Amino acid sequence: MEFVSLEGFRLDGRRPMEMRQIRAEIGAVAKADGSAVFEMGNTKVIAAVYGPREVQNRTQQINDQALVRCEYSMANFSTGDRMRKPKGDRRSTEISLVIRQTMEACILTHLMPRSQIDIFVQVLQADGGTRSACINAATLALADAGIPMRDLVTSCSSGYLNSTPLLDLNYVEDSAGGPDVTVGFLPKLDKVTLLQMDSKLPIDIFENVMQLAIEGCKAIANYIREIMLENTKQLEYRRGI
Amino acid sequence: MVGLSLGEKHFIQGGIAQDIRSDGRKRLTYRPINVETGVIPQANGSARIRMGATDVISTVKAELGKPISLQPDKGKVSIYVDCSPTAAPMFEGRGGEELSTELSVALQRSLLGGKSGAGAGIDLSSLVVVEGKICWDLYIDCLVVCSDGNLLDALGAAIKAALSNTGIPRVQVAAGASGDEQPEVDISDEEFLQFDTSDIPVIVTLTKVGRHYIVDATTEEESQMSSAISISVNRKGHICGLTKRGGAGLDPSIVLDMISVAKHVSEQLINKLDSEIAAAEAGEDES
Repeated sequence: MEFVSLEGFRLDGRRPMEMRQIRAEIGAVAKADGSAVFEMGNTKVIAAVYGPREVQNRTQQINDQALVRCEYSMANFSTGDRMRKPKGDRRSTEISLVIRQTMEACILTHLMPRSQIDIFVQVLQADGGTRSACINAATLALADAGIPMRDLVTSCSSGYLNSTPLLDLNYVEDSAGGPDVTVGFLPKLDKVTLLQMDSKLPIDIFENVMQLAIEGCKAIANYIREIMLENTKQLEYRRGI
Repeated sequence: MVGLSLGEKHFIQGGIAQDIRSDGRKRLTYRPINVETGVIPQANGSARIRMGATDVISTVKAELGKPISLQPDKGKVSIYVDCSPTAAPMFEGRGGEELSTELSVALQRSLLGGKSGAGAGIDLSSLVVVEGKICWDLYIDCLVVCSDGNLLDALGAAIKAALSNTGIPRVQVAAGASGDEQPEVDISDEEFLQFDTSDIPVIVTLTKVGRHYIVDATTEEESQMSSAISISVNRKGHICGLTKRGGAGLDPSIVLDMISVAKHVSEQLINKLDSEIAAAEAGEDES
């Protein structure tokens, strides 16, 4: 199948190095301590953060740092064909773990010992790149909850199809069987915190593909910063400062 | 769980007794309702309803299936509710399952009538394509995004809004299939059939706190309830379903009184909801 046309356009009309349209909104769940919606094209996720609060299960309490927990769930209507999967299948457990580890790496957990932070991400629409969208949404929600972080971790995926590196794969490109590199990146510290790839790729090409994903992460980080600045201005305005 | 001090509990109860609740509402006033339709593009129909901090999404997906042999002239509709952990940390893992099942069953009872399909808010025979062979299966999936009480009423309203937003593709059946063969079908992707949603009931939950009862209770108010009755009423004022929750017993005369109040309240709710749905649909067409 041809994923990049001769004119250099992808199936959804993007250029190879072009990201889908991203949109973010802070404060989607009224009852949560922090929440956000993040959209990348047709992928849409909600993240809610509860905490830092008392540890619910005393046996899990850590005496010198905060306990970070994460749960990823997909709505029944999020995929094209309706699915009815039981909660906690292997895929969502793995993604929960990935998100938890990524977020834990950037939260200053040592400032909140003996407390617990819950991150819940809910996929409303899945069209490839849910992992990245969830991490971006979780970052915004954590920032909204006022939880101290080292940096704003952002994530983006890239792939390699028809001998072309492609940024931000959608579902069709993702299921084409080519390599799919998901990168989590701390833009200020210039460090990669998450790196996953399936399928195979020559090392010199991998370098390009990973670099492309990192550029994507940087672009998302700029956008997230803008959204947060906007939100803070709104808050400032409402308080009448 | 809701952590309330004794003072707060008295404040809520006292407010309800004096017909002015903590957020300034009267006993029989709803919170402002906000309707958005067409929020999930992959579904045949969808709606998002917000009542105060309660936020639910409802979607309708239609698939072609086979009618059950006992009712060859009726389609199938099923309702599933999922409580997202984003709504409350206690829904994490399997924590929300009990509530999800309770809500799904209550919604089925209120909106879909009995097992035979009689008394359903949706005309099930309109879902049949070829009698005994092909029908539409409607899957109504609801997601609770944020929960601040009165979930059942919000879900009922969301389903009503999602069904008015639903378009079922027109199906052409190839002639010539005979006997037991499954006829071939051609699903149109241009022509859609709209539902008649005027008969779909709304659900009104009356929550009894102390000696009085209130509509549209928040989580704090629900924590003080002794019992609650959810009554589904359609436009004609007929009662389509009834569920009682909560432990305390009720005097039969109070139940009848509550039903008549629910009937009265439902008229306002149906009108309000219909105008909100119409406004949301008009807004969606423009954009």
